[in-house]
Amino acid sequence: MSVFVILYYTLLLGASCLAAWFNKRSAFLLIFSLTLVSFVLGIVGGVAALRFVAISAGLLALAAMVAYAFREFLIAIASHNMAKELRTAPLTAAFGMFVIFTYAIAGIFAPWIAPFGEAQVISSAFAPADETMLLGADQLGRDMFSRMIYGARNTVALALAGTVLAFVLGAMAGLLAATTGGIFDQFLGRMSDVIMSIPSLIFALLMLSIFGGELANDTTSFWLLSGFAVLVGLLFVTAVAEGNVLSWVIGLAIMAGAAIAFAGGFLVIFNPSEIILILVVAVIYSPRVFRLTRAVAGNVVVMDYIEAAKLRGERRWYLIRREILPNSAAPLVAEFGLEFCFVFLLIAGLSFLGLGIQPPTADWGSMVRENATLISFGELTPLIPAAAIALLTVAVNFVVDWMLYRSSGLKV
Amino acid sequence: MGDILGLVAKRLGLGLVILLIISVIIFFMVELLPGDIAQAVLGQGATPENLAALRREMGLDQPAIVRYLTWLKGAVMLDFGNSIVTGASVSQTIGTRFANTLFLAAYAAAIAVPVSIILGVLVALARNSIFDRVANVVTLTSISSPEFFLGYILILYLAVKTGMFPAIASLREGMDFGELLYRTFLPALTLVLVVTAHMMRMTRATIINLLASPYIEMARLKGTPPWKVIVKHALPNAWAPIINVVALNLAYLITGVVLVEVVFVYPGIGQALVDAVSKRDFPVVQAACLIFAATFILLNLAADVGAILTNPRLRHPK
Repeated sequence: MSVFVILYYTLLLGASCLAAWFNKRSAFLLIFSLTLVSFVLGIVGGVAALRFVAISAGLLALAAMVAYAFREFLIAIASHNMAKELRTAPLTAAFGMFVIFTYAIAGIFAPWIAPFGEAQVISSAFAPADETMLLGADQLGRDMFSRMIYGARNTVALALAGTVLAFVLGAMAGLLAATTGGIFDQFLGRMSDVIMSIPSLIFALLMLSIFGGELANDTTSFWLLSGFAVLVGLLFVTAVAEGNVLSWVIGLAIMAGAAIAFAGGFLVIFNPSEIILILVVAVIYSPRVFRLTRAVAGNVVVMDYIEAAKLRGERRWYLIRREILPNSAAPLVAEFGLEFCFVFLLIAGLSFLGLGIQPPTADWGSMVRENATLISFGELTPLIPAAAIALLTVAVNFVVDWMLYRSSGLKV
Repeated sequence: MGDILGLVAKRLGLGLVILLIISVIIFFMVELLPGDIAQAVLGQGATPENLAALRREMGLDQPAIVRYLTWLKGAVMLDFGNSIVTGASVSQTIGTRFANTLFLAAYAAAIAVPVSIILGVLVALARNSIFDRVANVVTLTSISSPEFFLGYILILYLAVKTGMFPAIASLREGMDFGELLYRTFLPALTLVLVVTAHMMRMTRATIINLLASPYIEMARLKGTPPWKVIVKHALPNAWAPIINVVALNLAYLITGVVLVEVVFVYPGIGQALVDAVSKRDFPVVQAACLIFAATFILLNLAADVGAILTNPRLRHPK
C-alpha cells in the first residue's frame, strides 16, 4: 500500500461521507460509485489504474473550472440580454464555447503563434520534444506544434466553407420548396432522398475518384465552382423574380457576375483539390439541410400570419426573408453546428485516408496517418491531432445540445 | 395478412427503384470524365493506337446506354468486369473481402446491439440522474471522435503497451473461429464503441418518449408494479422504434467500417475501395460503391419493414 493509494481512498470516502452529510444525493451517488469501481479497478489494474482515474478526475475538474471561469468572463463582457441567456448555459456548453474560442484564435493568428512554418523542415525525422519543439518533429522533421496550429486554420476553414456552401444550397432550396410546393417541391424531395440513400463517405470517395488526379486543376475547379454558384443563384432568382420577365433578366445578369466573382475569390483562397473537396462535401450534405429546412419552414408556412401576409399581397421573397427565416432561425442554427461536425469528421476521415487535403498543407487528418508508425513504439504523438479533431467536435456538440434544449421543443 | 405483404412489396419496389437510380448515378459519374476511362488510365502521353486498342477491349466504342445496360446486367449477375490496374476479375477480388467486412460488421453488431439496448433502457429509466448525465457526456464524446482516434487509442493501450491483442488484424487461411475472433477483436471493439454510443442515445430517446405517453401514466396510476409497466405496457410498443434504431445503426456501421479497416489493415471491401480510389481503378470503385449502397438501402428497408410488422398503426396509412 503506497501513500498514494491510502490518500486516494481517504479522499474518496471522505468526500462521499461529506456529500451524504450535506444531503447532496447525486454527488454522493457519483463519488461513492466511483469508490466502489475503484476497488475493482485497484485489484485488476493495480496502482496504475488508480493513478489513471485520479489524473482523469483532475483533468475533468480542471476543465470544469476553465468552463466556469470562461462563462463568468462571457457574462461580464456581454450585453444585458446576452448575459441573461448565458447564465442558463450548463458547464459543458461553456466548455464547448471556450474550446471553439481557443481554436478560432489559433486558426486566425496561426502565422504569429506558430514558431515555425507549416512546411519548414527544422530537424531530423521523429525528433523527440525539446524546448524549441514542444511536441517533437513529424516524419519529415517538421515541427509538430506549428503544424497543429496551422492545421486549426486549414482543416477548420475547409470544413466551415463546405458547411456554409451546403447550408446556402440546402436552406435556399428548402425555403423555396416550402413556399412553392407542387412538382418543384416533390422533385427536390425525391432527389434528396436518392442522394441521402448513398452513405456519405462512400459517395465522397466515388466523387473524389472522378474529380481527383489530373482533373483537380484551376480550370475544372473554376467551372465547378461557377456551376455551383449558378445553381444557388437560380434558386435565389426564382425566389425573388416570381415570373416577372424584367426581374428575371436583371437577376440572371447579376447572378452570372456574382458566380464568376465567387469562383475567382475561392480560387484565390483555396487550391484546386481543396475546392473539389469543399464542393463534394457541399453536394453530399445539402440534402440533409434541405430536409430540415423544408420540415421547419413547412410548419411555419401553414401559420395564420403567413396567410395574412399573403392576403396583403406580400411577395415570396418578403415571406421568406421577413416571416419564415426569423421564425425558423433557432433550429437552423443548431443544425448548422451539427452539420459542421459531420462535415468536419468527413473531411478528417478523407484526409486520413490520403484522399482529402493534400501535403504539404498541414491538416489534422493526414497528420494522424503520416505519424501512425509511431504508435507501434508506444508514442502518443499521432493521437494529438486526432484528439484535436475529437475535442472540437465534442465542443460544438455541447454548444448545440444547449441551443437545442434552450430554443425549441426538442427535449434531448 | 394480404395488406402487410402488399406494403412490404411496395417498400421493396421503392428500394429497387432507388437502387436503380443510384446505379445510374454511379455509372454516369465516371462518364463525366473528359475524354474517357481509357484516356484517364493511359494518361496524356498515350499513343492513338494504344488508346483505340484499350477502348475496343473495354467496349468504349459503343454508346453509353448500351454499356450501362451491359454493366447493369453484369452487376445483377455479380460480374463487375475486370480491374483496370491488375486485370483481375473484380468480383473475385471483392467477393472474399466483402465476406470479411460482413464478418467484422456482424461481430461488432453481435456485441453492440444487446449492450446498447440494455444500457439505453437503463439510462432512460434513470433519466436526469447523475448517471444519465455522465452517460450523455461519454456517449457524445464517443460519437464525436473520429473512428481512427478510438482505433489508435485501442492499439496503443491494448496492443502496444500491454500486448493483449494483435494491432494488425491480418487473416490467414485455415484459422479456427476462436483465433479469428481474437485477431479481429480490436477493430470490432472500435466499431462497437462508436455504434453503441449512437444506439444508446437513440434507444434512450425513444424509451423516454414512450414513458411520457398517457397509457403508461394510466398503468402507473392504477398501481401496476414498475417492472410490469416496462415489460407488459412499454416494451410491446418499444419494439418498433428499437428495431428501427438497430437497423439504422447497422447501416451506419457500413460507413464506419471503411476507416476502421484502414486503421487495422483489415482485408475488407472498405480498404479495397480506398485503394481503388487512389489508383483510380474505376470498375472496382463502381462495384464497391454499388455494394455499399445496396447494403445501406437493404438495411434501411429492413428498418421500414420491421417497423411495419411490429406497429399495426403503420399498416393503415392515412
